[in-house]
Amino acid sequence: MPFIQHTDEDRAEMLKAIGAKSIDDLYVDIPADIRVKENGDKVKLNPSMGELEVTRHINALLAKTKNAGNYAFFRGAGIYNHHVSTLADHLALYEGDFITAYTPYQPECSQGTLTSVFEFQSCITALTGFEVSNAGMYDGASALAEAVLMGYRLTADKFRKETRETVVLAGAIHPEYAATVKTYCETTGLKLVTVGAGKDGRVDAGALKAALTREAAVVAIQSPNFLGVIEDVESLVKQAHEAETTIVQVIAEAVSLSVLQTPADAGIDICVGEGQSIGNHMFMGGPAFGFFASRKDFVRKMPGRIVSETTDRDGRRAFALALATREQHIRREKATSNICTNQALCALRALIQLAAWGKGGFTELGRQVVAKTQFARKALAAVKGVELAHPDAPVFNEFVIKAKPGLDAALIKQGIMGGLPLETVGMGQPGEYLVAVTEMTTKEDIDKYAKALGA
Amino acid sequence: MSNIPENPADRLLFELSKPGRRCVTFPKLDVPEVDIADALKGAKLRTEPARLPEIGELDLVRHFKNLAKKNFSVDKNFYPLGSCTMKYNPKINVTLLAQQGYTKAHPYLPEHDIQGHLELMYNLEHYLREVSGLDEVTLQPAAGAHGELTGVMCIKAYFEDRGEGAQRTEFLIPSAAHGTNPATAAMAGFKAVTLKEAANGNIDIEELKKKVGPQTAGMMITNPSTLGILEPKMREIAEILHGVGAQLYMDGANMNAISGIVQPGDYGIDVMHFNLHKTFSVPHGGGGPGAGPIAVRKHLAPYLPKPRIKKNADGTFSFDHDRPKSVGKVRSFFGNFGALVMAYTYMTQLGREGVRRMSQNAVLGANYIRVKLRDFYNVHHDRTNAHEVVFTDAKQDKENGVHTLDIAKRLIDYGIHPMTIYFPLPQNTGGHGAMMVEPTETESKESIDYFIECMKKIAQECKDNPELVKSAPHTTPVSKVDEKTASTNPQLYCPMCLG
Repeated sequence: MPFIQHTDEDRAEMLKAIGAKSIDDLYVDIPADIRVKENGDKVKLNPSMGELEVTRHINALLAKTKNAGNYAFFRGAGIYNHHVSTLADHLALYEGDFITAYTPYQPECSQGTLTSVFEFQSCITALTGFEVSNAGMYDGASALAEAVLMGYRLTADKFRKETRETVVLAGAIHPEYAATVKTYCETTGLKLVTVGAGKDGRVDAGALKAALTREAAVVAIQSPNFLGVIEDVESLVKQAHEAETTIVQVIAEAVSLSVLQTPADAGIDICVGEGQSIGNHMFMGGPAFGFFASRKDFVRKMPGRIVSETTDRDGRRAFALALATREQHIRREKATSNICTNQALCALRALIQLAAWGKGGFTELGRQVVAKTQFARKALAAVKGVELAHPDAPVFNEFVIKAKPGLDAALIKQGIMGGLPLETVGMGQPGEYLVAVTEMTTKEDIDKYAKALGA
Repeated sequence: MSNIPENPADRLLFELSKPGRRCVTFPKLDVPEVDIADALKGAKLRTEPARLPEIGELDLVRHFKNLAKKNFSVDKNFYPLGSCTMKYNPKINVTLLAQQGYTKAHPYLPEHDIQGHLELMYNLEHYLREVSGLDEVTLQPAAGAHGELTGVMCIKAYFEDRGEGAQRTEFLIPSAAHGTNPATAAMAGFKAVTLKEAANGNIDIEELKKKVGPQTAGMMITNPSTLGILEPKMREIAEILHGVGAQLYMDGANMNAISGIVQPGDYGIDVMHFNLHKTFSVPHGGGGPGAGPIAVRKHLAPYLPKPRIKKNADGTFSFDHDRPKSVGKVRSFFGNFGALVMAYTYMTQLGREGVRRMSQNAVLGANYIRVKLRDFYNVHHDRTNAHEVVFTDAKQDKENGVHTLDIAKRLIDYGIHPMTIYFPLPQNTGGHGAMMVEPTETESKESIDYFIECMKKIAQECKDNPELVKSAPHTTPVSKVDEKTASTNPQLYCPMCLG
């Protein structure tokens, strides 16, 4: 049998030591009438396969797919086609001592993982400006949901005599994130209010003001938002804080942190985001990781694993999991969350990628993305019949164009995966497309797209 | 700078950094340069570049290779962590996943471009239906705890749909359950009500009957339990819950004992989750990513997260977003798809026969360890166990003043990762520190025998030289780590990363 090393002789010896006649004897606690019979067909699975057969099978499935590499690719909307350094694959995916290690509960034999998490936290601190980053969350969407719950707890604890149980989702938030927040809020019994985007693509400030009643506990914004527009974060912070609410910012394109003001500098309380852009393959949207950062004062309210520097018995530097009294395995029903993973391998990939880019490379990456986005924006807007949805708004890597509805099929035939038709995700009208650019996008791709749009 | 370690191998990335060093270079910009402030007019910019380390490629590789060396891993070490199922992770799973068809698959590709991915997910759902004996599966949850939350959300939505939402406020949870169970129930807005186990480690049926009622939404049960024991009265438990209209949730963390042996659906459970990173060999990755699909009985299927995957009459596959009763989404897109590919690769290799052999050999190994060590350590329940066995330090504590933590750390010196310790909690193991051992089916008899010999040696050391055990480990890159200070005086980032 695949991956089982016991020989019949081994099994016989072990059974003898146990004093059992057969392995079946070890299942006495399962009623005989529901036990699956040896060689029966009750459980309908294929016969075993070897390495060659499974490779053939998987490759046959892959033959029925296409991917970003087959196209001039302009699709993003939360998952971005960045270059992933081969170092991230060699040092994480193929490194058995990282990929086949367990959660570092035993620090003496897990210093590799623990050190890398500490370095990861430090990098997220460098990116966001916050003193505290956790070790990682499932993804951007669930990180936002957890941040909203934490934001609610912060406000509720501060104003214990009031009932403040409303969550305000403001502006163009990724529909997958908004749906996830909705699910979490419905389950926990929090009320959800959404405030739309104005004509300029930014949060409708008037509508937000109206939504910030005394019941409001937490405001969540996305910047750059789902339509690509960079929000006026500072003024939203001001509005949220004047209403004595907690404000959360979610970031879908982590590379934007290379050039944009840090959330900490803007006065945000909790910053979360999707980390896929940094060193993680697209994989149909997962696995990557969510990042979660906040102020030092709030650390004990934070969900997720956190690593701290400490020392060993001989006074040497060492790292260990910290503040576990927030977590489910200690606090059970009183924990800050039920989460007990940090997508460690994906966070490690991000660390490797950030170090590979380095301070200079990360900035240069951001500048290249901005330059290419600006070029694409102008090139597409110059096409007859195409216009920008938000011509005056600042954008980082994505923007919305208005063109003829139903262009997708014709573009695909020409090898172009154009911008995401927004009506397919319930975020716009037919004929509106969300166009994404990365450092992988070439001038040739952009020219090809513009030409096809003009035809 | 004097406190920076002399040996570069001991330094942090930030301490290896020197201005001007670079790893990655970019192609020359093929479009005009822009002035960032001008291009992003109306947006606030960073005041200085993020203080990431600046490092050359060789130093970067060496840094991570040196870190890797400081880890134990399944590739290198026996890892008998109870409840975690640290089995071998076949290399082929990673190799197949690393292909461009997966790495560059975007979630917003049109359905005709992802037929092979949809087919894989459809097939994996089928596998999990077959192993669970339940009717429908979602692959969206990213982890076991996430699956728990999703399952409990479905139960909640089901009761709300029936107009019983206000009435069903409680979830029953055995006291030895994983911490995620009560945390999940609380997160979903339920009151977690603790059930004490009977003296033999099974569910106390009388206690259950006392606590169950019209206020009960459901019960979360781990089977085999966290004490490594198969629950003999599963069907009776299901009947008691169903008798008051409540639902039975099964935590599938321990499916490595019973996959292919019994379909949990036959017990009468309504919903369960799988930990694909335990049972189906997605590598643990030092703490994720895993995947926590859930399987449900028909009546809960309308509430599963969306989209679902469907097979059309013409043999093609598509997403079904039209699920009006769905709880919605529990994360973005379709789950940890890359992890699903690895689990699928593993399951197709095992096949029907292999899944059954997997469980049988896992249970065989754990029982073998119990009988071989029963004269040296207290077995918490010395009876036929499932895929794991719980010992305690009762004997060593009483006779030598040596505790579970010491024994666990001493095991490291023998090149074996510690077993799971202090879980289940001391209150569930007679006040003594638990040592939960799960060998898995992929370890050879020789590895298991070596573990047994090491445990015997440590038992002898506890008598002859208790200090040796108490001061362990002696062979690791760091000695016993001060975990308390990590929490009382946390230092959570390298000061060099922040201005």
